[in-house]
Formats: sequence, C-alpha cells, structure tokens
Amino acid sequence: MSDGIESRPLMVLRLATAATQEIGPTSQGTLMIFPVIGGSFDGERLRGTVLSGGGDWVTAHGNGSFTLDLRVTLETDDGALIHMTFTGVRDDANHYFRTVPRFETAAPKYAFLNRLLAVGIGEIRPEGPVHVIEEIL
Amino acid sequence: MNTRLLMTLHVKVGTLLNIGPVPHGIRRTAPLAGGTFEGPRLRGTIVPDSSADWQLLRSDGVLEMDLRFTLRTDDGAVISMSAFGLRHGPPEVIAAIGRGETVDPASYYFRTMPRFETAHPAYSFLNRLIAVASGDRRPEGPIYTIHEVL
Repeated sequence: MSDGIESRPLMVLRLATAATQEIGPTSQGTLMIFPVIGGSFDGERLRGTVLSGGGDWVTAHGNGSFTLDLRVTLETDDGALIHMTFTGVRDDANHYFRTVPRFETAAPKYAFLNRLLAVGIGEIRPEGPVHVIEEIL
Repeated sequence: MNTRLLMTLHVKVGTLLNIGPVPHGIRRTAPLAGGTFEGPRLRGTIVPDSSADWQLLRSDGVLEMDLRFTLRTDDGAVISMSAFGLRHGPPEVIAAIGRGETVDPASYYFRTMPRFETAHPAYSFLNRLIAVASGDRRPEGPIYTIHEVL
C-alpha cells in the first residue's frame, strides 16, 4: 500500500457456491445467501481447501451496493482448521469490492492469523468469487 | 493494494473503567473525552458523550479494540464510526505504553479497520468504503491515521 500503510500477500481465496437462496426484503435490505460448498486458498504461508457448510450473507441496499457477511471453515493441507469470517462492501457502480477478513485458529503453526488484520479485494468470476487477501503490516 | 489518506484522528481518552476478568479475557472501557479529525475531504470534532473504546485483553496477549465514535464535521454532518482493532507487541513495549510513556509506533502492532455510516449526502462516500488505520498510542490518547482502501 502507499502512504505509509503496508501490506503483504496472505492468500488467494476461491469459493465454490451452491444456488443462491433469495430470502428477499428484510429490515436491512434484500437478503440473499450464497452457500459455500467448497473452494481453495493458497498463499506462501498457508494453503488448503474450503470446507462445505459456510456461506456469505449478502444484503442488497438498492443502489448497486451490497454488504457482505461471510463465515467459512478453512482446512490447511497439513490438517489445521481455521475459522474465517469477513464483512465487506460491494459497490458495483464504482467497481468496488473490498472485505475485512478475520481468522481464528487453535493450531500453533497458524496462530499468527489470530493476531493480524487483513483486507481482501474481491472479484466475481464465472467459476465463483475470488478474494485476494493481504495482511495489513 | 492502493490506499489514500482519509483523515488523522486525535483522540483524548477519559478515565479508564476496569471491568476486570471476564470469560474471554480482561475487559476495560475507555470513554473518550473528545478529539479532532482532519483530512483532505473532511474535518471536525469527536462527540465525547457517545464515543468510547471497549477493550478486551485476550489470553494470548493481544488487545482487541471495539471503537464506537461519533464525528461531527465542521459543516454540521454527523458520522458514526466503528472500528475493530488489534494491538500487540513485545512485552517491554506494551508495559511502557501502560506506564504512559511515548513509544515508537513502529515497535508494536496497532491497526484498526474503521467503518462509517452517515445520512449526510456530502459524506455518503464514507458509507461505501473500507478503511485501515494505523495507531500511535500517546499518553494523552491515540492518534489514528486512517487510509481509505482504494
């Protein structure tokens, strides 16, 4: 990053989703749920698969902007489980799609994830959403 | 990843309230006595009576921060700001901060992720952005340099 805040790559997260569940208008906006049924993540310090059973709760606010609320479980290639959540903003009018991920794990090797803040840059690709996640240094 | 300066926020902390050991760690509350913010696109003051930092010192030594501020711009808009943050570092640095000393902000990790809500049209861009703040804990209160994530 410029201007004194620095970051470094943490992982690229690819999500596979099932058919969207359209909940419809709620007090917050129009809610839709993207069930996460799999995926992968890959970075210099960790890699593995996304377990089925998570999801992204997305609320549309009617002006092309959405707020995101995701929770998934990651399983590293050496068997550690990592609970990951993010909140985020998607504003299609301005091509802006950014998230704030957080991680929780009990695996000592990955305990650094408990102590960092991160930012994700999101993109919707034909095969599913892709998030390029950077650790805030 | 590109960012640009959104504002610098100078916070005056009031008297800390120690809640004490709770199931997830040691909790304390830091009410804010006031402060100011200034950036290229907005400036003003912190509304003291509706701003505080709810802190949790976790068992792994990391301080979690849950900040809720109300900002009032110099042209009268009211902006709600919330931020989740983490602070941790070498024990001697954290102890020096605890004693009220000024330490080099590069010697520890102090970052927050602010989010904003406002109804004022001039500042509605704040509703749609993600930001990152770098903190510098001074004896009189923290200084947050907040960058918009582009």
